Amino acid sequence: MVELKSRTKKTATPPVAAPEPPTVPPPVGIANLPNQRYKIVSEQGGYFTMMVAGESGLGKTTFVNTLFQTTLKHADPQRNRFSPLKKTVDVDIIRAELEEKNFTLRVNVIDTPGFGDNVNNNKAWQPLVDFIDDQHDSYMRQEQQPYRKVKFDLRVHAVLYFIKPTGHGLKPIDIETMKRLSTRANLIPIIAKADTLTAPELKTFKSRIRQVIEAQEIRIFTPPLTNDIKEDSTEAVAMEHARQLIESMPFAIIGSENTYDNGQGTNVVARKYPWGLVEVENDAHCDFRKLRGLLLRTYLLDLITNTEQLHYETYRKLRLEGGSATGDNDDPSLPVKAPARKLSHNPKYKEEENALKKYFTDQVKAEEQRFRQWEQNIVNERTRLNGDLEEIQSKVKKLEEQVRTLQLKKR
Amino acid sequence: MSSPRIPQETPHIKKEETSTMDTSSLHNGNDNGMPFPPSGPTATVPSSSSEIKQEESQISMSQSFEQPLAQGQVLPQQPDLKIIHRQINGYVGFANLPKQWHRKSHRQGFNLNILCVGQSGLGKSTLIDSLFNTNFNENATTDIDAKIDSLNIDGTNEDTDDNDQELTEQEEKDEGVKIKTSSTTIEENGVVLKLTVVDTPGYGDSIDNSNNWIPIIKEIDSRFDQYLDAENKIDRSTIEDMRIHACLYFIEPTAHFLKELDLEFCKKVHSKCNLIPIVSKSDILTDDEILNFKLRIKNQLDQAGINLFQPPIYKLDDDETITMANKLYETLPYAVVASTDLVKNKDGHTVRGRSYPWGVIEVDNSSHSDFNLLKDLLIKNYLEELRERTNNELYENYRSNKLIKLGIKQDNSVFKEFDPETRQLEEKQLHEAKLTKLETEMKSVFQQKVSEKEKKLQKSEADLFARHKEMKDKLNKQLKALEEKKHQLEISISNQMTQSPIAQKKKGFLR
Repeated sequence: MVELKSRTKKTATPPVAAPEPPTVPPPVGIANLPNQRYKIVSEQGGYFTMMVAGESGLGKTTFVNTLFQTTLKHADPQRNRFSPLKKTVDVDIIRAELEEKNFTLRVNVIDTPGFGDNVNNNKAWQPLVDFIDDQHDSYMRQEQQPYRKVKFDLRVHAVLYFIKPTGHGLKPIDIETMKRLSTRANLIPIIAKADTLTAPELKTFKSRIRQVIEAQEIRIFTPPLTNDIKEDSTEAVAMEHARQLIESMPFAIIGSENTYDNGQGTNVVARKYPWGLVEVENDAHCDFRKLRGLLLRTYLLDLITNTEQLHYETYRKLRLEGGSATGDNDDPSLPVKAPARKLSHNPKYKEEENALKKYFTDQVKAEEQRFRQWEQNIVNERTRLNGDLEEIQSKVKKLEEQVRTLQLKKR
Repeated sequence: MSSPRIPQETPHIKKEETSTMDTSSLHNGNDNGMPFPPSGPTATVPSSSSEIKQEESQISMSQSFEQPLAQGQVLPQQPDLKIIHRQINGYVGFANLPKQWHRKSHRQGFNLNILCVGQSGLGKSTLIDSLFNTNFNENATTDIDAKIDSLNIDGTNEDTDDNDQELTEQEEKDEGVKIKTSSTTIEENGVVLKLTVVDTPGYGDSIDNSNNWIPIIKEIDSRFDQYLDAENKIDRSTIEDMRIHACLYFIEPTAHFLKELDLEFCKKVHSKCNLIPIVSKSDILTDDEILNFKLRIKNQLDQAGINLFQPPIYKLDDDETITMANKLYETLPYAVVASTDLVKNKDGHTVRGRSYPWGVIEVDNSSHSDFNLLKDLLIKNYLEELRERTNNELYENYRSNKLIKLGIKQDNSVFKEFDPETRQLEEKQLHEAKLTKLETEMKSVFQQKVSEKEKKLQKSEADLFARHKEMKDKLNKQLKALEEKKHQLEISISNQMTQSPIAQKKKGFLR
């Protein structure tokens, strides 16, 4: 801000009546270029799409409200706690335009209620993965059009994966889901409801999770560390900050939308227990501030550029390479058509399909039974008819015998 | 589809670059008196005319968004979505995003590609050197040394019938305009700018300059094409922006009017890059002369419908900034004086300027010339805006035209806001259609199989009865025959003897 002010001042006063002799030649003005960027971004505002993933009851909605300090969505106790859980996993999007200090950010929060709540959670990650892929796909299609002034962009810039504070370790579904998410978006695993773990428990839990993440080669988002630090002290401080953030991962958080007096006359966002107050914005109590710093204050731009330049480009590359393998479009100057959208993986649809198949299988079985009966009847009939024939035959034989006797008698 | 033009055009440019090195081209086959060969690559002509059309459609689209147009982006009906609007009073932190951009851009550095067009002797190099504090002839990496081509004698060579020559070569000689690209890197307070200056020596220096704009427009287009190519590649990690961000057009300080060549060029170029007209060497004009000349030029440009770069005004701008932005636009064309020489002014200070017996013209003195305004617009305050407009408007227009001409159809259905409910509905429909199809298929297969089986069973049943009947008939026949035979025998026996009691008994047994 300081630099910006100095810029406007410079443009306002022409250096005509400068009291001191100006440097000759005067500066070119290149030093002002970052301020031009600053101004353009301030005017344009920002876009941020964040996905919260994890079982229900881990406080995803509360966290989102805590993060943006406003109730974007009411944590719905009806659904989350008391009524039977919905069976299908679907996507819920909160769209908001938030303004902080004259800066406007369009926020999209993607929630997948019902993730991991089924008995069989095989492929429970599919809706999350599909959503991310779908958005990349949609953006790619828009980008390929000759006219593309208006584009709708819901590419996911960050996935917050909520881990249950079991104190033990990651469940297979956590590992499988995170593996798939981490190749598609900036994955940030967080330990939810961390106030259920004591400090030593949390430490062990964190290191255990880190080990699993490393062993499973899950690539989580980390602040970029540049090696070539100049004497510039701000850069060095930033690096140190980044290093601290990386060491605290996965962030242990608690969420609350209520404020309490912390005993010193200040109202703080916290959770109140008979044995004490858990403060959300207290670094000794949880990592909420660190996570917020990472998500918004310090590395929001890195999340966005990483999504656009790494994850989206990776998706696009895969798609285009897959597309060109078919050989229907060899001309590299023409944009390659994206393949047709795949069908959803809604388990309910699969069930319905299976039910239909089963119905027909049953019908077939019933018919087969009927046919078997029929065949049996035919066999029976044949036996009866054979008996009939045999009877006549025996009559014939008898007659033949009689005729022979008569013939003999005649002689 | 139609053949791709991008790879076709690139060799033309290469040819131009290399042939400037070829000194033999100076001595033969130059024909500026001949009109531009119609068989040559005239691709730029239709593209530029449709460019204007395209721009019109873009304008009318932004004016009345509801009216559907045959061309362009027409958004389909969007789902009704709820967007929460909130003002945040506490501390959240995302307001820091511009600061993050500031840092990142500082780290990454900037780039600017300027095109300089104007007759030789108007001080193009001096102006660039004065603007950027550089010495381009010494420091920059120049890929073509085209100094010699100003010596290019026009239209004197009779050797025009040589049709075996490659068209590109010939056309280039016709125009006598070369493209000279130089790059350098400038650093100021840790901010790095990669500057590329594209110079066009030979422009306006021939007797017939009517086609002078062709190689320049081609250069701009080829840079767009290069970017378009890179954007469509599978691997885009090394994309480099070579597009022209600003065109400095040097007007001779005649104090009369814009010449036809000037207007012609501005018409061709204004839809392809940010045009900044400059009256160079304005120190030979008095203040009144400059004012009148500027006014006349502005009128001429307005009448020709030529758009100049206009600094955007933002809602967050303070009054000072707005006034300055308006002044920058209204003062166009800039009357500038440039010099890299250091002289002492009347106060004894060392300044950049030109010393005359009657006084010292200071380059950096705002009351002496518009040099500082140009510097503000081009570098200090609006460099990034020049780049933004190049990328978002000028390049996009070029790209749209090019792709449409390549036969690529606009599919507006992809421009739809994602809505889970709509998506779910769509998926449900897809799913239901799939189920119906599956059911019909299975039903028909099932029915076919059942009826096949039924027929088979019916047939085997019928067969069975038929065989049975056949055999039964046969047996019955046999039976009858035997009975007949027996009867005969009995009669003959009874005839032989008298009535036999046994036969009577047997007959009773049978029936």
